[in-house]
Amino acid sequence: MLPTPTVRSLDEKVYDPAEDSFLLLDCFEQDQGYLLEKFPPPHTIPLVVEIGAGSGIVTTFVKQNILKDGIYIATDLNPHACKAVLETAEENRVDDEKLESCQMDLTNGIKNKHVDVLIFNPPYVPADEVPAVPETDDDESWLDLALCGGPQGMDVTWKVLHGLETTLSKNGLAYILFCARNNPMDVKRDMEQLGWKVDKIIERKAGWEVLSILRFQKT
Amino acid sequence: MKFLTTNFVKCAIKTCDSSLEAFPLQYSECELVQEEQEFNPEFICHMLDRLDWQAVIKVAKDLGNTSLPPNKPEDIDPIMEDSQAILRDLHTLLVETRIVEGKMICRNCEHIYYIKNSIPNFLLPPHLC
Ligand SMILES: C[S@@+](CC[C@H](N)C(=O)[O-])C[C@H]1O[C@@H](n2cnc3c(N)ncnc32)[C@H](O)[C@@H]1O
Ligand SMILES: [Zn+2]
Repeated sequence: MLPTPTVRSLDEKVYDPAEDSFLLLDCFEQDQGYLLEKFPPPHTIPLVVEIGAGSGIVTTFVKQNILKDGIYIATDLNPHACKAVLETAEENRVDDEKLESCQMDLTNGIKNKHVDVLIFNPPYVPADEVPAVPETDDDESWLDLALCGGPQGMDVTWKVLHGLETTLSKNGLAYILFCARNNPMDVKRDMEQLGWKVDKIIERKAGWEVLSILRFQKT
Repeated sequence: MKFLTTNFVKCAIKTCDSSLEAFPLQYSECELVQEEQEFNPEFICHMLDRLDWQAVIKVAKDLGNTSLPPNKPEDIDPIMEDSQAILRDLHTLLVETRIVEGKMICRNCEHIYYIKNSIPNFLLPPHLC
């Protein structure tokens, strides 16, 4: 078992690491061999991007243990999360020189077709709608963005899936987390029809949720 | 934001993607810090492979550094002494130079993005999303 990064007590407006975060850590631990084969160090330096990095626990873990030679960009809409990412990296003595924290919607400010590994633990909870981005930093509702994903919890995730072709590099991989109510097997089928290879890497019951992570790549 | 990152970020407005002007962003009124970081010649050498050199030159110029060679250094071997010197200079530029405060401007649509406390902000106002 690789060590779980320490996350200092966070601003209450930032998503606390939870079962979904830990499932991602286990997913990367399990898939490390595959990743190192795809991006053999030290000759390949993968660009790893985590959308919605929150506390930064996943990015920190992957940088510290899985793809040590990569360069990292963590994005989040939430400015408090953007700060937390840098704090968590520092707390775990992950030198932040190759880790950038950006306030950004999805990957909109990242050069197209450059992302080698994309990571996303999305707002996957079914809810009437995806909340609007608050106008001020001290608004109380930043945390809602971490959870509410529209009627099937898929509004934000589908945006990312539909953009994958433009986001990922030729050999790029995307790891995306789903809950059972997102109907991940339907997503798998739909994406396969669009020409993607989709593998379920890990699945786990967490309280009343069943969480799973799918890995997408171009066939 | 590290200098290295300037090679990977662009204007967030989708319609700028098709413009050759939109990358790299133009850096202006930037406050820089130099921070000593461990020198890893091999990392810089392999990093060089994937860099857009013309973008490196442009951004360096925005930040007041006009000393870069016009073409990407070739045949770099981390164990050769003259390569070492080049790699060390690149390390200083790419990895040790951080923009703490500043503006990033799209040369195509002229939208201004801000860097504050080292964190660049690429969010767009609602009417541009
Ligand atoms: C479920 S949390 C995951 C946090 C962290 N990655 C983890 O696993 O613990 C989802 C995160 O996505 C962010 N987010 C939601 N919509 C986003 C968007 N359009 N662009 C970037 N980040 C977004 C939220 O602010 C939140 O930090
Ligand atoms: Zn633009």
